[in-house]
Amino acid sequence: MRLVLERRPHVSVRLLVLSPLVAVALTVLCGAVMFAAMGLDPWQALHVYFVMPVSDAWGLQEVAVKATPLILIAVGLALCYQSNNWNIGAEGQFLMGAIAGGWIAIATHGVPNGPWLLPAMLLGGALGGAFLALIPAVLKTRFGANEILTSLMLVYVAEYLLDWLVRGPWRDPGGFNMPQTVTFEPEATIPLLFGDGRLNLGTPIAIVVVIVAAILVARTLKGFEIRLVGEAPRAARFAGFNDRKLTITVFLVSGALAGLAGVIEAAGTIRQLQPAISPGYGFTAIIVAFLGRLNPVGCLVAGVFLAITFIGGENAQITLRLPLDVTRVIQGMLLFFVLACDSLVAYRVRLVSREAVA
Amino acid sequence: MTIAEAILLTVITAATPLLLAAIGELVVERSGVLNLGVEGMMIMGAATGIAVAILTGSSALGVLGAIAAGMALAALFAVMTLGLAVNQVASGLALTIFGLGLSGVVGARFVGVQREGIGKIDIPVLSDIPFLGRVLFEQDPFVYLSVLLVGGVWWFLNRTKAGLVLRACGENHTSAHALGYPVLRIRLVAILFGGACAGLAGAYLSLVYTPFWTSGMTAGRGWIALAIVVFASWLPWRAALGAYLFGGLTILQLHAQGFGVPVPSQLLAALPYLLTIVVLVLIMRVRQGSTAGPASLGVPFVPDR
Amino acid sequence: MSITRRQLIQGVGAFAGAAALGQNAYSQTNPLNVGFVLIGPVGDFGWSTMHDRGRRRMEEVLGPAVRSTQVESVAPPDFDRVVNQLARNGARLIFTTSFSYFQPTVRVAPTLPNVFFENATGTSTLPNLSIYNSRFYEGRYVQGVIAARKSRSKQIGYIASFPVPEVIHAINTVMRGAWSVDPNMKIRVVWAGAWFNPGREAEAARALVDQGCDVLCQHTDSPAPLQVAQERRVFGFGQASDMTRFAPSAHLTSSVNNWGDYYVSRARAVIDGSWKPGDVWGGLNSGMFSLAPFTNMSPEEVAEATRIRDALAAGTLHPFEGPIVRQDGTTVIPAGQRLNDDQIRSQNYFYRGIDATMPS
Repeated sequence: MRLVLERRPHVSVRLLVLSPLVAVALTVLCGAVMFAAMGLDPWQALHVYFVMPVSDAWGLQEVAVKATPLILIAVGLALCYQSNNWNIGAEGQFLMGAIAGGWIAIATHGVPNGPWLLPAMLLGGALGGAFLALIPAVLKTRFGANEILTSLMLVYVAEYLLDWLVRGPWRDPGGFNMPQTVTFEPEATIPLLFGDGRLNLGTPIAIVVVIVAAILVARTLKGFEIRLVGEAPRAARFAGFNDRKLTITVFLVSGALAGLAGVIEAAGTIRQLQPAISPGYGFTAIIVAFLGRLNPVGCLVAGVFLAITFIGGENAQITLRLPLDVTRVIQGMLLFFVLACDSLVAYRVRLVSREAVA
Repeated sequence: MTIAEAILLTVITAATPLLLAAIGELVVERSGVLNLGVEGMMIMGAATGIAVAILTGSSALGVLGAIAAGMALAALFAVMTLGLAVNQVASGLALTIFGLGLSGVVGARFVGVQREGIGKIDIPVLSDIPFLGRVLFEQDPFVYLSVLLVGGVWWFLNRTKAGLVLRACGENHTSAHALGYPVLRIRLVAILFGGACAGLAGAYLSLVYTPFWTSGMTAGRGWIALAIVVFASWLPWRAALGAYLFGGLTILQLHAQGFGVPVPSQLLAALPYLLTIVVLVLIMRVRQGSTAGPASLGVPFVPDR
Repeated sequence: MSITRRQLIQGVGAFAGAAALGQNAYSQTNPLNVGFVLIGPVGDFGWSTMHDRGRRRMEEVLGPAVRSTQVESVAPPDFDRVVNQLARNGARLIFTTSFSYFQPTVRVAPTLPNVFFENATGTSTLPNLSIYNSRFYEGRYVQGVIAARKSRSKQIGYIASFPVPEVIHAINTVMRGAWSVDPNMKIRVVWAGAWFNPGREAEAARALVDQGCDVLCQHTDSPAPLQVAQERRVFGFGQASDMTRFAPSAHLTSSVNNWGDYYVSRARAVIDGSWKPGDVWGGLNSGMFSLAPFTNMSPEEVAEATRIRDALAAGTLHPFEGPIVRQDGTTVIPAGQRLNDDQIRSQNYFYRGIDATMPS
């Protein structure tokens, strides 16, 4: 007797909808068991993790602020992954966007400027991220170099570049030699939406991006091309789609979105450049993209959910004294369960007797 | 001891964990599976290794514990990617996060606990040879093991039938399956081997290199190991070269500072990564049109009976 | 929203109930809720670990009068939210334990006017923001003196983290101390590029020993350099905590961070209403920082080191007295003058006689 995977003849909508719910339920269950084993009240712990972050207006704003960069980056990554372009360097593209947008803010610091500054910074950030993403794209199309590795290596390069800039040429002269730039002026800061929260313009931008991407993927020829190149590359070539041009395009778009997220974080939430402006958004966004099934609206939902787990983890540290590592374990489990359940949507597991094998 | 000898000694110790992890991942990737979870398996190895060593008082048991931990995580990865045909990139990343978190939980009790590191083995007579003697023949057991592993993996892949079959699974799993080879089982063994090596590399860090536990002590070495596998174009001896190059550049950068060489430290630190990209491109230019690495790398395989 | 808050306080209270010995009239109606924001993991066995130890000591001394919570590895973008969450959870005194948090604290403090903030290594105060730091350089002076006595190669190896003033004036002061014993002492500096990275610290230590240094100073937080010192049979100084056990025959002394008593005094100040913003830069005389017992030194060496330490603590010995001359030869202050605190805090040049360069 052995287990085999059998492709289901057609994908049932019911299973598609159930699968993430089952995954979340399994994660919650395992989490509860883990909390109980650590001597905590499972209900309370679950409440702190999943319910507290969204239980009031302030919490919801914080979830939105945390989810925005994740969603922006994940939407771009989803486009890449759907077309079999494995961009793992979003973290570096995020940092390059912060560097490019931050450069504009620093260069114009103290100089009179106008309402053109902020759009210029956003554009600069997008271009910075796109530029860094262009490198693995070109290396892949011209030389066949594995884009997972090249994009990953560039993450380290971008980190060191930011470190050098912030400690050297861009260091705030009035900052006691500490590794940070000047604080951005108000004109160079992403405006808040409401007075008493941290919700800023970044979130509506992210929502617009999601809508545009959703329309692009579902209804345009380009979207069809992206999906076809990923699922059936030979058919795509017969249909006349140029996969090299597509690679460059999706990498540019993905890099631009990651760079945009970078400048929004730097100019909105932190308002200066420092070495540690990203707690791994680029890598977390990869998970968001997969959790969202490589679908823009899915990325939105997954980004919100993952943001809730991050904030829940902070709350758990504050109110339950649960260490940060427990949050990571839960996030890892969530990803495992979602991936497993999604696989079971496409495949069925069957026990087969040996004689049945041809 | 001359300074050249001294530098060589430190380069070897810096490179060893990278080489151990890389050689394991190399086998995994040759069989057609991309496991990005090396960092997670390595740090679990480090945490488990020192936990077991402290609890039992035996370094050897610690090493075994580390290997077991690496293999356990690898088994989880195998269930996902082989059993459920889940995307390998996503599974690997999930493994990294999960492993990082779990290692913190396992190691929490042992932060700052001091332990004697595993000492060097001195091969008599040979180690008295001037210059190379100490470098080659007075090293800790992991260094010797890493060299043996590289040789063993080379021999296995190139001189045995089993190795040939494994490579076939990596190049074209459909044909291998058609020929009757159990592709999934072969990949499973490869994945477990990779996990054992990653766990071993982690044990090296927490039991020999800096014998204590702190959160995140692998500091990204798992990702460097992945780079080394590609840098080596999936060939074992080149992986050793890559590991020594990466280890060497880090050490040389530190020495350069000590001597007052006026290059920004960040540039020196970024050099290994830039170099990997350059080498990758150069390899592909030479190859002219063939793919880099096993053709079926990363593609999930679901045998249809 | 009020229901949620009550549940939170109940939850915290239930958890802490086991430890509470019952209400004490010394506290307010509720115990003082103190929050800590850590830049790294609690298990880093260095900077963040020592703040955690300080927190525990505060709880130990003040007992049921305080309740503390902490959040670890908080990246700057998450800082605002974490502080707000601590405040919403009832914290009225929050310690933000890193310079990376200084600007964010300056920004957040005015929005939470009834919470008192304390930033470690910050540079200015607000009505509800105090700053605190340790005069680590006093320990460096003593280390320099000891190093000059113990070193045969006359070379000190310094594992530095980043070229910020705190590190630079530490390096300068080590040499000041060393030159007071032997003007021929030299120093080699390696920039590890991190406050905490054991593997890299070990590699830096090995590189320095290979280049001929036989006494190691570190500005990084893990015991790795000391372990290398032990292995290579040279000497070393520990950092942040007493690291004797990591290098029984190589360890000379360690600079130990003692934040506990400062935290106790600040919490007390909030409880009895006497808290005022301050700029506390405590040295050996304040208890915020001390030197671990001297080991592997002869009785004469111990006596000398003790004498120097006591002189620093008493204020009769000042590491920053003139003349101070930069590497390029220009004089900063002549003999008879002394650098003030702000000048020490912003010192970003090496003394003449130190051959190190700063990265970029």
